[in-house]
Amino acid sequence: MEWKIIHVPGRESNPDQNATVSVVASNVEPRAANNLIRRLSVMVPLENLHHVKRIRRSTSYGKVELSVILCLSVDEEDPLKGIPNDVLELINEYQLHPFISRVPKIAASSREEWVQQCVHWPTSYHPPANLDEINVFNEEDSKAILGFMTLAIELTKSSHLDNQVFNAAIIVNPSAKVIVASACDQTDSWPAKSVCAEKTNSNDTLTVSNGFHISDYKQNGEKSYVNVACLNPWSWSQHKPHTCSSPVEHLTTHRWHPLKHAALVAIGLAAARDRILFLVPDQPKDQSVESGFSSITSSVKRQKTEVSKDQGDVDSETCIVSHVKCLPSVSEDTSRPYLCTGLDVYLTWEPCTMCAMALVHQRIRRVFYAFPNPDAGALGSIHRLHGEKSMNHHYTVFRVSVPEDIF
Amino acid sequence: MGSMKEDDFQFSMTFMGLALEQAKFALDNLEVPVGCVIVEDGKVIGFGSNRTNETRNATRHAEMESIDKLLEQWQASGLSQSEVAEKFSKCDLYVTCEPCIMCATALSILGIRAVYYGCANDKFGGCGSVLSLHQSEIKDVYRGFKCTGGIMSSESVTLFRNFYEQGNPNAPKPHRPVKTTQ
Ligand SMILES: [Zn+2]
Ligand SMILES: [Zn+2]
Repeated sequence: MEWKIIHVPGRESNPDQNATVSVVASNVEPRAANNLIRRLSVMVPLENLHHVKRIRRSTSYGKVELSVILCLSVDEEDPLKGIPNDVLELINEYQLHPFISRVPKIAASSREEWVQQCVHWPTSYHPPANLDEINVFNEEDSKAILGFMTLAIELTKSSHLDNQVFNAAIIVNPSAKVIVASACDQTDSWPAKSVCAEKTNSNDTLTVSNGFHISDYKQNGEKSYVNVACLNPWSWSQHKPHTCSSPVEHLTTHRWHPLKHAALVAIGLAAARDRILFLVPDQPKDQSVESGFSSITSSVKRQKTEVSKDQGDVDSETCIVSHVKCLPSVSEDTSRPYLCTGLDVYLTWEPCTMCAMALVHQRIRRVFYAFPNPDAGALGSIHRLHGEKSMNHHYTVFRVSVPEDIF
Repeated sequence: MGSMKEDDFQFSMTFMGLALEQAKFALDNLEVPVGCVIVEDGKVIGFGSNRTNETRNATRHAEMESIDKLLEQWQASGLSQSEVAEKFSKCDLYVTCEPCIMCATALSILGIRAVYYGCANDKFGGCGSVLSLHQSEIKDVYRGFKCTGGIMSSESVTLFRNFYEQGNPNAPKPHRPVKTTQ
């Protein structure tokens, strides 16, 4: 198998994609069509079939033919059965000859599906807004993406201990092609952090030499994925009690943490870097300017009687209105990024819901992962968090398929 | 969401009041006003409030703050993983706003007993609003927790309104060009 970058859509391609529903239709005279459709759409609107066009234009024996959907069908054998009375009146009035036809039950989720649907009956198709982001990798982009994915997998490999592997996360600035932060899972008490942190410290080596867990998972030389935090978020409590035979361990606190999945650790590192690189706090002047404008927006907000309540995601949408025109550009702002806006993340495994949501909060632009997470994955396997409409930030998700023998 | 008995209700009002105090503390520090307390055997053993602006880390929600402090404390006193899990299974969380999807997953991972929250979180809520992680079942194993919302929610909402009035110092400034996206 070769390397491939596959877009993971925010909406599942529906298993019902080829499903159809039967409708009662009829050919109509072209000059009657407009009037008829207007009356039908009031009389019997096609609920749940908004993607289906009411009229079909086809050519039969060189002659243009117009067909109109009258209503949903009740009985496939008998087009007239169960038809509402006012529709029956229309049939008489226009001298129609109803027949049964089938139309696609759900809207197409891709252009290909749409083309296929339209063979039977025309439908409308609304491509996702971020289509530009998808499948437009030139050779240089692809090379960079595969390069960073390889790095993430290398990080996973280098975190090996006793055949245990861990998830890895690398946050990348794609335009500068530099790594902003990288981390492995730190859920467990010993190995991962030493390898992934900038330097290996001797304490960890000590712990390792205690023989903890040695050979526990060495079965047939196979790698064990039990410790990949996102794959198995609930397993932390079953890990062996920490035997503190080494005195050094008493001195260090926080040696394990059930929530320190690679993505969360990487976000923490990126935030720390942000704090160091952009030390200057917001100037008081700037703040006063801003609060002045925000009070305007908050009144707008109140009128809408809707308050965004996410903790890190104070809704900026309404603030935009006031800032765009009024706020003088403050030089400091031009260099300091807002959280991880514009940055990509590379993960060896598809993230769990905790990590996937954390990446939304931190405003990551694109997520790349190599292996799916069948029991707990939030970006394609169990959920598709990036397709949740309610959220105010959406990243694009790609799976990078890699040769299976990469480990 | 289960219904509450009368004295349970009094109980939760008291703890939610303390969580609201944490939220006010956040507000005073120009942070998004969300606060929480963790309760074991009728006693508050942990608390926290949102610190996303100060840390520039949008994952530093009140829940995460309080959890981290407890974990540190318990490990310092020598508790093992299974002992800590045992502890969490006897703890309840009172938080002024419905936990987001991230925090709700975290609470499920830790195996907390119950969550009581104030207002709903329409955009990111993980306890019914967007996803229902409090009812999780993975591979036929229950991973959820008892969850009750709407406790003193108007107080929580008022704090959010105050926050908007004072302005979020860290909100993105849309006029600023973001170099990395171009
Ligand atoms: Zn995770
Ligand atoms: Zn949260």
